[in-house]
Amino acid sequence: MTRATDLDWVGCHTCGSVHHPDTQHCRTCGAHLHARLPHSLQKVWAWLITGVLFLIPANIYPLLSNLILGHEEGHTILEGVVIFFQTGDYFVALVIFVASLLIPFVKILIIGFLVLSIQFGWQLSEHTRLLLYEFVEFIGRWSMIDVFVVALLTGLVNLGAVISILPGAGAICFALSVICTMISAQCIDSKLIWDTGKGPKHD
Amino acid sequence: MTPEQIGFKAAFAQDPDSLIACPACDTLHILDPVSAGQTAYCTCCGFKLIAPKANTFDRTIALAVTSAILMIAVLSFPFLKMSKSGLSHEASILDIIFGLAHGWYNLLAFAVAMFVVTLPMARAGALVYVLWALKHHRVPYRAKEVFLFAERLNPWAMSEIFIIGTGVALVKVAGLATISFGKAFWLYCLLVLIIGLKNAALCRWTVWSLIRKAPT
Repeated sequence: MTRATDLDWVGCHTCGSVHHPDTQHCRTCGAHLHARLPHSLQKVWAWLITGVLFLIPANIYPLLSNLILGHEEGHTILEGVVIFFQTGDYFVALVIFVASLLIPFVKILIIGFLVLSIQFGWQLSEHTRLLLYEFVEFIGRWSMIDVFVVALLTGLVNLGAVISILPGAGAICFALSVICTMISAQCIDSKLIWDTGKGPKHD
Repeated sequence: MTPEQIGFKAAFAQDPDSLIACPACDTLHILDPVSAGQTAYCTCCGFKLIAPKANTFDRTIALAVTSAILMIAVLSFPFLKMSKSGLSHEASILDIIFGLAHGWYNLLAFAVAMFVVTLPMARAGALVYVLWALKHHRVPYRAKEVFLFAERLNPWAMSEIFIIGTGVALVKVAGLATISFGKAFWLYCLLVLIIGLKNAALCRWTVWSLIRKAPT
């Protein structure tokens, strides 16, 4: 298996065209060329930490509050799951638990683990890393489910004082957290997965 | 230097475009002609390198135009309906977005408008712009930038996630009020399907290799 770096060439990250190392822009797609995306892992960490910071208020503040006959009641993500579980809606409880609690946390842990394993060259098979990478790429967008739920319910359920649903501060923090971790996952240069132990040094 | 590497060097000296480095893992491959319907995967990581489709331009353009028409229909019909103790309220996606648009809720309104309506349509528009010209053997103005933009938009167009979100919203308030789907919901499901077919009908490599021939 020969890779473009082995022959000192640069493969475009977008379209795969092969170039001399001193070329600036891809002749095929015009993208900026880099053997490895510059500061890839630093950017991943920066976005990931931002995502984690947003996730804290997202779980402390209510995601949305119900206003029924003038009485306002707000629930955080975890409270919502518990309420649905107690009332016997196990399916809803499970969907919210997976999309809003499990996926965001697991995703952050996996990105962190993946980046650490690249940085420290942990003994981990490349295909395990690839699997983890594809998993976070795929799963990241699905956490937006809860943001859409909040937006839909607020837009729809607004019969004034009789019954209204209002978004809570947690919703916007949650959305920002999902967006930051999505960008974080996109900053991972997957070519680094195969670099450990050989080839050019990365940051 | 291994014989394989000497082969790559020779191919590169002759025509650099006869090689492809996997965008995901950097493994080099010498391109063999791939016929329509077949798929070339990276030998190292399994990334889909080349997947030419028969009539790829016609199909992609047709599906992109279909998705734009469907989106207009989606926006003009009620999406969800709710009723509670005799009162009822219908809302289209636009009503929902504008209903949110005050104070800091603007951020949520903006997110929904972008992820659900604008970005999927921007991607469809960009694809039609590039592919229509390529189909007629022309390379349009700034084709590289426009197609690159369409490719980068892909993860941010969240139609299918929105549909699942709608389902969750429905069960989440089942106890508080009765919510039912409007016409636009079913049209939007169809839209998700069309967008999926459109993405499957497009071979990025075919498009790039045609754009490459343009004078820069």
